[in-house]
Amino acid sequence: MNKAIKIFIPNETSANSVGAQYIYEVISKLINKNNIEIIRNSSWGAFWLEPYIEIEKEGIRRGVSYRDIDLSDLTTIEDFFIDFNKREPFDIQSIDFIKKQKRLVFSRIGHHDPLDIECYKNTKGYKPLLNSLKIGPQETINTIKESGLTGRGGAAFPTGIKMQTVFDQDSSIKYLACNADEGDGGTFSDRLVMESDPFSLIEGMTIAAYAVGASIGYIYLRSEYPLAKTFLLQAIEIAVENNFLGKNILNSGFDFNIDLRIGAGSYVCGEETAMMESIEGRRGLVRSKPPLPAISGLFKKPTLINNVVTLATIPMLLDSDEDEFSKIGSNKSVGTMPFQLSGNIKHSGLIETRFDISLEELVRDFGSGTKSGNPIHAIQIGGPLGIYLSSSMLNTSLTIEALQELKGSIGHGGIIVFDNTVDMAEQAKFAMEFCVKESCGKCTPCRIGSVRGVEIINRLQKNKANADDANLLNDLCETMEATSLCAMGGMTPNPIRSIIEFFPNELIQK
Amino acid sequence: MIMSTNLKKILSPFVDIKGGLMPALHAVQDHLGFISKDNISELAIVFNYSQAEIIDVITFYDDFRLEPIGKNIIKLCQAEACQSQNCKQLLSDVTSHFNLNLDETSSDLNITLKEVFCLGNCALGPSVMINDEVIGEATTKKIIGHLKKHKIQNNE
Ligand SMILES: Cc1cc2nc3c(=O)[nH]c(=O)nc-3n(C[C@H](O)[C@H](O)[C@H](O)COP(=O)(O)O)c2cc1C
Ligand code: SF4
Ligand code: FES
Repeated sequence: MNKAIKIFIPNETSANSVGAQYIYEVISKLINKNNIEIIRNSSWGAFWLEPYIEIEKEGIRRGVSYRDIDLSDLTTIEDFFIDFNKREPFDIQSIDFIKKQKRLVFSRIGHHDPLDIECYKNTKGYKPLLNSLKIGPQETINTIKESGLTGRGGAAFPTGIKMQTVFDQDSSIKYLACNADEGDGGTFSDRLVMESDPFSLIEGMTIAAYAVGASIGYIYLRSEYPLAKTFLLQAIEIAVENNFLGKNILNSGFDFNIDLRIGAGSYVCGEETAMMESIEGRRGLVRSKPPLPAISGLFKKPTLINNVVTLATIPMLLDSDEDEFSKIGSNKSVGTMPFQLSGNIKHSGLIETRFDISLEELVRDFGSGTKSGNPIHAIQIGGPLGIYLSSSMLNTSLTIEALQELKGSIGHGGIIVFDNTVDMAEQAKFAMEFCVKESCGKCTPCRIGSVRGVEIINRLQKNKANADDANLLNDLCETMEATSLCAMGGMTPNPIRSIIEFFPNELIQK
Repeated sequence: MIMSTNLKKILSPFVDIKGGLMPALHAVQDHLGFISKDNISELAIVFNYSQAEIIDVITFYDDFRLEPIGKNIIKLCQAEACQSQNCKQLLSDVTSHFNLNLDETSSDLNITLKEVFCLGNCALGPSVMINDEVIGEATTKKIIGHLKKHKIQNNE
């Protein structure tokens, strides 16, 4: 039944963190008429507006930000409506922050209850799976290859090629593993997919599993995301009830099940081989490659490993009426990228747009400058293994290629803004400290090198001009880069080198 | 060794699944608060590991613990986005308010303070997690308010 008045109150970690859950509790107690309904939608990803509450009446939907507003005085629902109207409600889809994005992967977030499978189906959901089942595995892989999609987990490897490798293995058992460990500070796009559009991930996994011939899919979810866990468990159950998972999916003869596994607070378990060790029930020690996981992965079987956003992108590529994605961008930077703008920034949140947006556009047009009002001093791009750029480098484009030239990477798309109170030597030291904490311990340059790195930077903080320490730090970075087994040790020098190069005199006297 | 029926029940969903140890460790800890020496010897038998291997796994992961901690865990994010929002200052305010250091538990076993690296709430930092709930734009005052609201701690 469609109620006359709908009140939308997001149920999503960031919205709840600033009061959405509290507002839900207050308002649900006031409702005494049966023509009013509360819908727990997801966030629109404009986190600076949260908790953003909307009312839909006579087909018109408008909302208001209820940040830091005490509602405990309200005694009737009419009081709430009066209060709401006084606050000049607006349509979030008409503001630049949303309007100027190119929301393809995140096209559904905000609109409806993420667990309402009818809403999912009404917005093209499960049409791609049907199409994939019709054209068959190889044609599905070809479509993904042609789309130009690269992995969004950090390494930007072409997704279709990885799928082909798994497909080509002759094995009666194959696995799919979805990497939902999202450990990079400053990132939340995986979380947003899982909390705000979980069926897109489930459908993407189902298509990928069908294409490569896997019958079991694991989701390795970090333990820091309890709400995502709740959403995923419910979404999996609903998908099973609707025969979108389980045996003989949609009468195709294809069986596929998803098993959710929870991590236990280890960053390195986001590295794909450490993740497999963890799923198998061991310490998250990185494995040496080869063999590639695609050839011998989980439980020694061919395994397709992809990031949450990568998998959630797949359905759209299989929608035969839709090829917008692959028309955007060039080279490796094809399609849209969900940038996650955070830190000291006024308008923080998820910004899905083309790769070749400049930092300037991102932090000024979307972000509207720092929250503190102080000048921007540094911007970290691509998580703890990414680089820091200075405020004079805002014209940098965020393509995979442009960042490679600066010896950085877009990683998982985290963009963190710091104002001029930041101490760059501290940031450099943190990179090493984080490596000390999170190193899996398998190889010396990472396990011990990071400890020495903290010591050297401690000394440099007391005397920037010590040329011996400056050289030593450089040598240490070189050793870690050249001899670490995985990118944890191998890329920890990235932020440090960028600070030396782009912030002269802040860590080392030039 | 005769396994306690309680533990048997906790472990039973994980015995026959592939890689059952991690979910089993989570389940033991969720039910019993920590993983005891007795639990370890029982886990070793059930999963066909040596006791040393079980301890190896437990100690690798930040979430698992060999000793009881507070009933309520306050985790303060210290990762980069929260650093830009003064999470270090918040950490020092909170540790002095509760008179606890990181990884310390209050004497009444009510509260443990821990650090964490990213809660995925980076857009609204500094972020703090109290049990399963995330607090955005966190302040000591907000944390105290949350503890009161949830009847975790009433005195200031
Ligand atoms: C230290 C380290 C941490 C990583 N953490 C993650 C992570 O949290 N999530 C993720 O998807 N990939 C992470 N990766 C990358 C994975 O190893 C892997 O490349 C990725 O999951 C493949 O999926 P994709 O091709 O869809 O990007 C990490 C890599 C390293 C070296
Ligand atoms: S580089 Fe670090 S994390 Fe990677 S394998 Fe070596 S010790 Fe482990
Ligand atoms: S960096 Fe603190 S929540 Fe992500």
